[in-house]
Amino acid sequence: MSERDADDRSRAATEPASGGERTSRPASSRSASTTTWTPQSCSSCSADLISPLVCAACRTPLVAEPAPGPFEVFGFERTFELDGRTLMKRLLQLSKALHPDFYAGADPQVRSLAERSTAELNAAHKILANDYRRADYLVRALGGPTSEADRQMPQAFLMEVLEWNEALEELRAGEGAADGPEQLASQLREARDEAMDALRGHLVPLPAAGAAVLADARRDLNAVRYVDRALEQLSEIRLGRASSRR
Amino acid sequence: MAYSDKVLDHYNNPRNVGALDKKSENVGTGVVGAPECGDVMKLQIEVDGDRIVDAKFKTFGCGSAIASSSLATEWVKGKTLDEALSISNTEIVQELSLPPVKIHCSVLAEDAIKAAVNDFKAKRATTAQEQSAK
Repeated sequence: MSERDADDRSRAATEPASGGERTSRPASSRSASTTTWTPQSCSSCSADLISPLVCAACRTPLVAEPAPGPFEVFGFERTFELDGRTLMKRLLQLSKALHPDFYAGADPQVRSLAERSTAELNAAHKILANDYRRADYLVRALGGPTSEADRQMPQAFLMEVLEWNEALEELRAGEGAADGPEQLASQLREARDEAMDALRGHLVPLPAAGAAVLADARRDLNAVRYVDRALEQLSEIRLGRASSRR
Repeated sequence: MAYSDKVLDHYNNPRNVGALDKKSENVGTGVVGAPECGDVMKLQIEVDGDRIVDAKFKTFGCGSAIASSSLATEWVKGKTLDEALSISNTEIVQELSLPPVKIHCSVLAEDAIKAAVNDFKAKRATTAQEQSAK
């Protein structure tokens, strides 16, 4: 592995947004779609590593410096689209390699490293397994605006949010049609799909760090966030209804 | 964290809750939201000449967001459009003694006033244009 790669890796953990030089980015600078963890081989058994956290072949927990991001933990390239089965397969593979049971009799340092890495693996999985969190991570990692920084939303969309809230208020008061919750749920799912489609359009292929399209992606994410919040409230109302029927 | 008495007062007795006719040419509507917390706020003003004669709001959010928008409708009534635009969130923070974590609620109210005034101004400009086109 070249020194440049090592340098890029260290930057990936702390300052994922910047490429090349500090002052200006060369046009040819690497896009974030290339993995920031270059697969290496295990120092004890020389098998190819699939994750910087552990060698699955000889079951040796490794010290990953600097702390890898969620995609790197799983040995994946940074992409918005991620196949759920591939993710699950890799999670099981790595969980198995790091499982505390196998390190019960090991050196305490190795044992605690395996425990820490298991926690890291689970945290990374939590981000990768959810489309919102995964995209949110990518937009942040590429230096896009945060939801706090870019809160502007189209008026028409906010009116829609207002209407959902009014519908939720009605449902909470026990008013509206019997299929009210189902109607609102399908409306919300449709709005979520729409925002997710737009998001996919903005994140596939993954834009370069600092690209203007990241602001659009943030707007899509904010839309998803409003929808998810309404869906959460709706499911609370439904749970309440279900328990009051008992 | 405890809410101040003024926040509680506005929360329990919100002023000017409701809606004005969005389609009326004398009414400006502003809808703003905070994606971090999912709050959404609608503020409407009715304008006569250059003066705001009525204001209504509807807010879905925490107590501070409701109090901020309730206070905003009280304050804009009777003011000229420019006076309303000059209301800043820090005045709302002071009046309601909002803690730092709730400052974004006052920002939302300020944004809502600006959005409503700008919506009205845009409407008036369109009407003027249509009339001059005739």
